[in-house]
Amino acid sequence: MTLLAVARLEWRRLLVRPLAWVLAALTLAWLAWNFTLLLGNFLAGQIQRAAQPDGPGFVDLVGVPLLGQLAQLAFLVVPLLGMSVIAGERRNGTLPLMFAAGVPASRIVLGKYLALLGWLLLWLALTLMMPLVLMHATHFDWGKLAAASLGLALMLATLAAIAVACSSFASHPAMAAAAALVIALALWSVNLGAQLAGINGGAINWLAMSSHLQPLLRGLVSSADLAWFVLLAALALALATRRLAADRERG
Amino acid sequence: MTTIVPASPKTVLQLDRLSRRRAGRQAVRELSLALKSGEVMGLLGVNGAGKSTTLSMIAGALRPDSGGIQLNGEDFLEYPELARREIGWLPERAPVWAELTVEEHLDAHGRLRGMRGSNLRQARTAIIERLELQPLARRLAGVLSQGQRQRLGLACALLHRPALLVLDEPANALDPVQVAALRALIREQAAAGTAVILSTHLLAEVTAVCDRVAILHEGTLRHDGAVLADDHPALEQTFFGIAMNGSDKAQAA
Repeated sequence: MTLLAVARLEWRRLLVRPLAWVLAALTLAWLAWNFTLLLGNFLAGQIQRAAQPDGPGFVDLVGVPLLGQLAQLAFLVVPLLGMSVIAGERRNGTLPLMFAAGVPASRIVLGKYLALLGWLLLWLALTLMMPLVLMHATHFDWGKLAAASLGLALMLATLAAIAVACSSFASHPAMAAAAALVIALALWSVNLGAQLAGINGGAINWLAMSSHLQPLLRGLVSSADLAWFVLLAALALALATRRLAADRERG
Repeated sequence: MTTIVPASPKTVLQLDRLSRRRAGRQAVRELSLALKSGEVMGLLGVNGAGKSTTLSMIAGALRPDSGGIQLNGEDFLEYPELARREIGWLPERAPVWAELTVEEHLDAHGRLRGMRGSNLRQARTAIIERLELQPLARRLAGVLSQGQRQRLGLACALLHRPALLVLDEPANALDPVQVAALRALIREQAAAGTAVILSTHLLAEVTAVCDRVAILHEGTLRHDGAVLADDHPALEQTFFGIAMNGSDKAQAA
């Protein structure tokens, strides 16, 4: 029950923070603008595509590229939103209030993570509403959209876990945001050099987030890709828990 | 004829050779204390004497390096979740979640301590009335003055009716009227059986409200004794003797 109490407290704090509303408004406006551009291009090319029976559809040309835009924005939004979940509490001196309430470090981390993830999934859902409003007006590839949505949800969950971990290690929220951004970008592009050299396998490619997200965006769901996201998120949350427990020990 | 013997107050808190290093120095050294229900103990000491570290350990916010803490006879270090229902803590400077209103603050504290539904609502209403926080109830905690934050922190500490109240400089930033109200509140809690331990710099605070005083100096306990209502000069002599010379010889003299 204390897990829910922590999640509820963090959710409330997120909702009254102007940064969360500003980020939501700006990013959704940007995504809506991109949606209209993608839709315009889709409509303009509709006659040519009518001749290709197996050509790309609405989800390929509008839905998935829109989610790709959201993935790019997530690299900035998630660190900004997650930077103060623990570092901010540490700075305000409110973290000991949770320790003194007998809440274990694992529940503090998990509660805060769930609240942050809740906000991010709501953001994803609002973005998905844009292509979904046209589901009756066009042929809709539900499987491909579901796979891409799952990929985005897993990516957001992983980035959120990294942001929480960085926030638990940093003494200042800005440091946490910078660290989360750098780690996320490094994870995305760690295999760029290998790919430029023509190497498409091996550990370096396995390590890269892009190697696991791209198949999902193409509609290919593999348990290895899902496990990569889950493992990374679990590792980040375990590190955050360990750091917070050490905080209580060290004072 | 049978004689009714009043039940002797039970020991709520027992510290056994508690030690803790902090910021590279020994903040608390082999501290042993006991506190009974209904007793009010004042923790005196100069800055850096180890008062806040001691209270943080008692509140469960900080783990000791060695030693033991018994809370109502149970090992508090083994079961830190005891803090949830047994301890109310007002930390120094009363930190708050600036984004929450006073009411939401109390709700969050209650939920963290396992309170729910009507039980929580009733406790919140009662403590808001008792501490006269009604005009502030819907105000954001971030815009409160330090004195108002202190009162909010006190309300959070009392919300779940703890057996032990740990107050770190509770009179900080309170005006004289609020200080008098705070003293009355502490006596009221003690009369209801709550054990209270409070740290302060003010000797008058101790003589006004405490039954016992413990004086810490450089992390060690130098004095532990009863406080009499008209004991101010003697307490002053003891305190300055310890603070200036590191011993309570002055009291002996």
